[in-house]
Amino acid sequence: MVDDILPKYWYNIIPDLPEPLPPPRDPPDAEFSRIDLLRQLIPREVLRQQFTVERLVKIPEEVLDRYVTIGRPTPLMRASKLEERLGTPARIYFKYEGATPTGSHKINTAIPQAHFAREEGIEHVTTETGAGQWGTAVSLAASLYSMSSTIFMVRVSYEHKPMRRVIMQLYGGEVYPSPSDLTDYGKRIKSEDSTHPGSLGIAMSEALEYALKRNYRYMIGSVLDVVILHQSVIGMETMKQLETLGEEADVLVGCVGGGSNFGGLVYPFIGSKKGKRYVAAASSEVPKFSRGEYKYDFPDSAGLLPLVKMISLGKDYVPPPIYSGGLRYHGVAPSLSLLMKNGVIEGVEYGEGEVFKAAKLFMETQGIVPAPESAHAIAAVIDEALAAKARKEKKVIVFNLSGHGLLDLTNYESMMRRWKDEKSSGL
Amino acid sequence: MRSLVVYDTLCYPTPEKFLEFMMGSVKQGANALEVGIPPRYAKYDGPVIRRSYRAVSKFSSNAWEVLGELGREVDVDLIALTYLEDWLGNFNELVSKLKGSGVKGLLFPDLVIDFPFDVEKIAEKVRNAGLRNVIFVTPTVPDSFIKRVSKLADLFLYYGIRPTTGVPIPVSVDALLGRVRSLVESKLIVGFGLSNLEDVRKAIKAGADGIAVGTSLIEEMERSGIEGALRLVSNLREIVDGA
Repeated sequence: MVDDILPKYWYNIIPDLPEPLPPPRDPPDAEFSRIDLLRQLIPREVLRQQFTVERLVKIPEEVLDRYVTIGRPTPLMRASKLEERLGTPARIYFKYEGATPTGSHKINTAIPQAHFAREEGIEHVTTETGAGQWGTAVSLAASLYSMSSTIFMVRVSYEHKPMRRVIMQLYGGEVYPSPSDLTDYGKRIKSEDSTHPGSLGIAMSEALEYALKRNYRYMIGSVLDVVILHQSVIGMETMKQLETLGEEADVLVGCVGGGSNFGGLVYPFIGSKKGKRYVAAASSEVPKFSRGEYKYDFPDSAGLLPLVKMISLGKDYVPPPIYSGGLRYHGVAPSLSLLMKNGVIEGVEYGEGEVFKAAKLFMETQGIVPAPESAHAIAAVIDEALAAKARKEKKVIVFNLSGHGLLDLTNYESMMRRWKDEKSSGL
Repeated sequence: MRSLVVYDTLCYPTPEKFLEFMMGSVKQGANALEVGIPPRYAKYDGPVIRRSYRAVSKFSSNAWEVLGELGREVDVDLIALTYLEDWLGNFNELVSKLKGSGVKGLLFPDLVIDFPFDVEKIAEKVRNAGLRNVIFVTPTVPDSFIKRVSKLADLFLYYGIRPTTGVPIPVSVDALLGRVRSLVESKLIVGFGLSNLEDVRKAIKAGADGIAVGTSLIEEMERSGIEGALRLVSNLREIVDGA
């Protein structure tokens, strides 16, 4: 059964996009080539996959083996009690990526990146993390391949989510709050503002600089196409699981930080022309869909990576310290930005109150504590299900429950206090 | 016969040496010459070509005359490479300058990427002006687009295999070629980052009708002068014929 569902190939959407994907660029006045710099930062095979555009890319056996180790394929579950509570004729399914040991989808790309780094003899990798899911995935993936890892964690998350730090350390990662004193960039930011809360862009810049100076390799958690390529394992599995159930998806939903869990679920469906609508949910506190501009921008605050064309709030955007750190990133993956610009993917934004209400309803009906990031997808699913109810449509809604929220209980506790009057059952 | 397209930036390293190199390349077996006209923002060019653009800024006053001289001296296809972005407001000036210089083909590296829905319109304008289109596509161009725009290529379809010129980003040349070869019937020339002779061999083996080389030649010119660069042209000719 595992063999039937776990795919042998990753899917790359670029050959199937509605228009050419603008390539990464060096800025006009560049003193050095950032594209060239990638060769010192990113494992060779990861770069090769990024720039060798093929529709299907074979998953190495060793990676498949570790996918099985971390519990792939993950379950596709029906949210029947949520359906009942909503009184909707829609059938709601969710792909439960929280079932992996690190608790989110992030491990799906951490494993192949670690695999390719190890294959070329690298012994130490670095990365940044916001909410902690990506850092956790990198810490475990590095250890699965007997490598060390250094994780720069956005200071505000580091302080608010101490348990995340502990997990990363248990998996073998070294964790530092960013901005830190370990890099020139971190020191500069701290000298301007000693209480700086940090941002994913800054942490990313620190991880890049730290890797560059020590000849380590940097692991990239989102945005680059190669990350969504690896994440396509989610959608490839989901398609087979739906087929087994005799179901066809009408609407596919996911939350968007950089876009990798969303693209991972949805792109294989777009590529095989399955599904009628695709809905991306972001946070209205980090309003990239409504306020972001489609432009060439740096993925990191220091501008060490090449410019990519994406929907962005600007590389220097410092988001409010919201509850779902994973959605704090200033940009949206280039391929996802292009698909949104073309109207293939719809974007919606939800505020904290709505998201908390949706999360609470999901907990009460399905028993799973969703990651606050994933709860944005749940909020969108609930709206879709209620719209189906109003129109008496028996549509099939599939969403990515990209992670669990058992390490976000402090955030939930604070939300419970702030939104105590919001009754989930009032829906 | 497979094609060898030789690139140099107009007037690089000096107008005299540029002419010596380009004319010499034809003697060494180049089938077409591609001349880079420095743009305001060389967004898809790598560090070496960018450096050459900066270096020739001092020769800009008589650059068109130099191009005209080349046009008179050679009998192979002369192709101008320039960014459409720079000529949107004065397209007619561009084509009249090019035609006056004996240029036959026009290649805009930014056409398909930055103006994807104007490709037909621009290609038509180029034809109406009496020039022929070289259409540039990259691996990030979707299959449907590659198929469509390949039909507009009068001289050849130019497939750039790396995201920028002259930066040896690891790619699988054969896999990339396999994809595009299955999509198009046009004459297919591969370039934009062919960084070593092995790449060239692989591209030819995987079905390319020829190659375009620029950065490696400029680097060789900087290392061992025009003579050295011409030796490399001759080597490339042998590889293209024998691969």
